[in-house]
Amino acid sequence: MIEAFATVFDGYTLELAASMLVGTACGVIGCFVVLRGMALVGDALSHSVLPGVVVAFMLAGAGPVPMFIGAMTSGIATSVLINTIQNNSRIKGDSAIGLVFTVFFAVGVILISALPRGTHFDLKCFLFGNPLAVGQSDLWMMVIVAAVVCAAVVLLFHPLRTASFDPVMAASVGINPKVAHYVVMILLAATVVASLQAVGIIMVVAMIIAPGATAYQWTDRLGTMLWLAALIGTFSTGLGFVVSFWQNWPSGPAMTLVAGGLFIFSMLFSPSYGIVAAATTRRRNKQHIAREDLLKALARMPDHVASDKQLAESTGLSRKRVVALGGKLAAKGLVDKLGDGRYRLSAAGDEFAHGLLRTHRLWESLLHETGIDPAQLHPLAERLEHAHELADVLDSRLGSPERDPHGRKIPRPEGKYADD
Amino acid sequence: MEKALEVRNLTVSYGSKIVLRNVTFNIPAGVSVSMVGPNGAGKSTLLKAALGLIERDSGEVDVLGAPFNPRQGVLAYIPQKEIIDWDFPVTVRDVVTMGRGARHGWLGRPGRKDRAAVEQALEKCGMTEYTDRHIRQLSGGQQQRVFIARALAQGARILIMDEPFAGVDAATENAILDLMDGLRAEGRTLIMVNHDLDILDRFDWIVMLNGTLIAAGPMAETYNEKNRRLTFGPTLSEIVRAEQIIAKGVAR
Repeated sequence: MIEAFATVFDGYTLELAASMLVGTACGVIGCFVVLRGMALVGDALSHSVLPGVVVAFMLAGAGPVPMFIGAMTSGIATSVLINTIQNNSRIKGDSAIGLVFTVFFAVGVILISALPRGTHFDLKCFLFGNPLAVGQSDLWMMVIVAAVVCAAVVLLFHPLRTASFDPVMAASVGINPKVAHYVVMILLAATVVASLQAVGIIMVVAMIIAPGATAYQWTDRLGTMLWLAALIGTFSTGLGFVVSFWQNWPSGPAMTLVAGGLFIFSMLFSPSYGIVAAATTRRRNKQHIAREDLLKALARMPDHVASDKQLAESTGLSRKRVVALGGKLAAKGLVDKLGDGRYRLSAAGDEFAHGLLRTHRLWESLLHETGIDPAQLHPLAERLEHAHELADVLDSRLGSPERDPHGRKIPRPEGKYADD
Repeated sequence: MEKALEVRNLTVSYGSKIVLRNVTFNIPAGVSVSMVGPNGAGKSTLLKAALGLIERDSGEVDVLGAPFNPRQGVLAYIPQKEIIDWDFPVTVRDVVTMGRGARHGWLGRPGRKDRAAVEQALEKCGMTEYTDRHIRQLSGGQQQRVFIARALAQGARILIMDEPFAGVDAATENAILDLMDGLRAEGRTLIMVNHDLDILDRFDWIVMLNGTLIAAGPMAETYNEKNRRLTFGPTLSEIVRAEQIIAKGVAR
């Protein structure tokens, strides 16, 4: 692999740089595609540029400028046609998109087969990407277009963000959301055209969506999302390029696999939105609640002493669970282990349980005031009491009541709880 | 007296369906207005037509004495909660900064003056300590206040709010109404689509719609039994429906 790296760096510097820059542009424009829900449009654009490319090839031969013009023309025609169908018939957006791009693609494929015998048109390069087969001038086209797309997004960041977030408000301050839509469309079409020979028609949409969707898992700020997506896009195309060279794979799928891998990793391990983080939080919460329930159960026992069997019965937890939690509580000094599976509430544990009871009764009082069904009071409070940071807030909101709705005394922070 | 909004002979339709028919009314500057009417009465359509967002069949809408020019930023729109994507990656500051869009337009970007205006608007709405929070991490009342702050940062003299009280509790509703009273005291005009008829006493002016204008005027003299019946009763919407059926061609 190292050798492959060295060869690529030395021998194919421009190919690598152009591919990576295209990845950057894909990532940047992809953020807006993801947030505006335009992924399907991206897919449509990438497929429907084919007839434009072929017609340009027929009329003007190979070369970056005719190809760019041809591809942009058919890309923009697609988006106009999709809008026309949507606005003038009862066909919904996704059907209109699916219909238009497949027909365009079909026209492209037919046109290729109609090319005169002996003409060299590398369809596979367009379908799956092959930066090694791209001529110098085409590479420079990729570099220039990608750079322009990135610059345009940076320049138009604020109006695009406003129009994407709240189009009606954007219109009220003179940022026409229709203009914003077409700006994103044109930038997207340009990105697709620039990516065609590196990533390929079939895979371009993955390179556009994956970096943005991945970055979205890590941040709550659009600026950060753009930078992250740019990095991810650049890295995916770069690594994909080298791996495809090394393993002799088509480059588009290799780049897509890297980007897809990063997405899966983020979905699992992102600290804020990852599946693992969510599961950990849920597990911690459950444990926290079980520990507190155990303390409360112990506080209700005569002399604050009980066996694990009794505790399991009164809390509904399994005995094994009680033993495990009991060990943790003992380590925190909230209970004392008496041997024979018996536990006693320590002074610290007593104080803690007392706080819980206070929170529970305050919650019941507050819920009662909101006119909630009395039968619901206890179960709801049973859940809410675990947010004990709120006890003092509740207390002052309620005007420090003495008794809860059931007439039981609400313990003061310094006092002891009496009758249950 | 200066007119905040002047609507003349406004007719709007979606396809063959007329949503608003020949609506004419004025709203003086510096009042708070409740816009009421049953579902489909054309309230949101009227607001969007005023913003120039949808094409009108006929009629004009003037904002502060002239056709609406969005680049002046005088008119702020506060959307319904349901149409906002609360997962959109923006913080409180980002949203309020959007209010400065009329100043910087397509090619500029917010500068020092804009940042100062944003801070000021946040402070006025009591949102300073939440500046860097994501919008999802706010309570319903705070979310509303972010959008009001955005309108203030915009320097708006007219605030249009589309159902700001949908899904907020009574305490929050009151807090928003108090904030609005303060804005009106500064001479701003507040126009609100509102379903809660119990809080009408908090407004000075009312616009009653039901496919066409039923009545518009000061609350005390306009909100009476007759207008209420015309607005919410079946009579007029039945007429409109009958006309639609006729327009489609009953006599075929």
